[in-house]
Amino acid sequence: MASQLLLATAASQPHRLSLAAAASATGSLVAEVGYALGALPPRGEWLSEELVLATGDWPLTVADLRELEPLLLRRGLRLVRVEAPAPEALVAAASLGVVTQLQRPGDGAGAAAHEPTAPTEPQGLGLTIHQGTLRSGDHLQVEGSVLLLGDVNPGARISAAGDVRVWGRLRGVAHAGCQGNHQARIVAMQLRPLQLRIAEAVARGPEDLPPRGYAEQALLVDGAIAIEPAEPIWGLPD
Amino acid sequence: MTPHQTRNILICSGKGGVGKTTLTANLGIALARQGVRTAVLDADFGLRNLDLLLGLENRIVFTAQEVLAGSCRLEQALVKHKQEPNLALLPAGNPRMLEWLKPEDMQAIVAMLAPSFDVVLIDCPAGIEDGFKNAVSAAQEAIVITTPEVSAVRDADRVIGLLNTHGIKPIQLVLNRVRPKMMANQEMLSVNDVTDILALPLLGLVVEDEQVIVSTNRGEPLTLGGSRSPAALAYSNVARRLQGEDVPLPDPAKMGRGLRAKLSRLIKTKIF
Repeated sequence: MASQLLLATAASQPHRLSLAAAASATGSLVAEVGYALGALPPRGEWLSEELVLATGDWPLTVADLRELEPLLLRRGLRLVRVEAPAPEALVAAASLGVVTQLQRPGDGAGAAAHEPTAPTEPQGLGLTIHQGTLRSGDHLQVEGSVLLLGDVNPGARISAAGDVRVWGRLRGVAHAGCQGNHQARIVAMQLRPLQLRIAEAVARGPEDLPPRGYAEQALLVDGAIAIEPAEPIWGLPD
Repeated sequence: MTPHQTRNILICSGKGGVGKTTLTANLGIALARQGVRTAVLDADFGLRNLDLLLGLENRIVFTAQEVLAGSCRLEQALVKHKQEPNLALLPAGNPRMLEWLKPEDMQAIVAMLAPSFDVVLIDCPAGIEDGFKNAVSAAQEAIVITTPEVSAVRDADRVIGLLNTHGIKPIQLVLNRVRPKMMANQEMLSVNDVTDILALPLLGLVVEDEQVIVSTNRGEPLTLGGSRSPAALAYSNVARRLQGEDVPLPDPAKMGRGLRAKLSRLIKTKIF
């Protein structure tokens, strides 16, 4: 299925570009967007200047977004939202100040082809992105997984039914899988917690400083919490 | 001419005894000396002592309590500082005020002060209970003061979170009672450790200075006599930075001039 460009039907609505599966294309993401926007009627004949980009399974980096910017600008378009299933893409977009939304399987390009699957899974579904540092005394609680763009300071708590991912320093208390999910993980750019909890397991944070510049993750190994280098790709829980 | 805008600045810390009142008194004097019409408002009704530090205790006739009750005019309650006429203190009433004081009352007091002052410094009580909430409601910006100790930093962090939820902006940081030698020897949290956690712009660094204790007991804030002690200089610099002047911050590493400090710095220099 090729990339789909849905034109806005009202001025208050954005255009929506859903990219085709990455495997079916030959060029880069930027080339694909450029190609898809070729279908746009000449300027002045459409109603909106806003564009929502649903990336599907394309990887999206900050570099891609920066490349996209002039391309869209030339056409008089403004990127207002990025929808993607991969947290990396959402983080990249969020770091440039673009509104992001998690794209669930079944949304977007393929949505018309098959019925959107209802979110029936009890947990792990959905990623909440929270922007800003949690300070002492704060407690962020989330139903699904959480991605925090900021630090968790000592004295603050973050808990999620799914994974806890901190795009920053984790120095407080984190609880992943707080409804009993043993597969849940805690990932942080700098893992230096006071205490870690995964499902029912509790562990004190390591005494010594973590290695600099390496993200780490904590997960359950034989019922005990273990810390290891984070996988470079963060998969979403399924 | 643009309409006169009064800055209502809250001075708070969360933890007690880190130097809120001392900062309020010294900053008040320093601002007044720089020609800013300044009012200091004691919002610590339970344990008031801003009047003590300023040496104005025996001049108090009326307090904020009478002003709110309407039994005296604001001008009657304001105590002008004897040497710095640009500075006035609005004393706290008796501790019973805590029982009935509402955020609206604090806002009313601040609104009354606005026409005659450029800056109103509000000395916040320790803790984060009602007294804190009352004081916050009257302020637009804040100075958080802390010392390089884990408990003080933790409390400051909590307070910053609360200030954020009240929409206070900007929030700036003063780091008090810095001991350069201990910092150099890594026996104390460093300036970086503190700013790392609190993530606030640093408005000032005040070194531990015995003169502060002397002046406090005498009721003559350090900044008053044009003292050359390091703390007095630090307070005046805070006042200047508060007015937008660009005064470079001292480097605590350079304050510890001892041979031992130098050596340990050399040893601890990280090479990547």
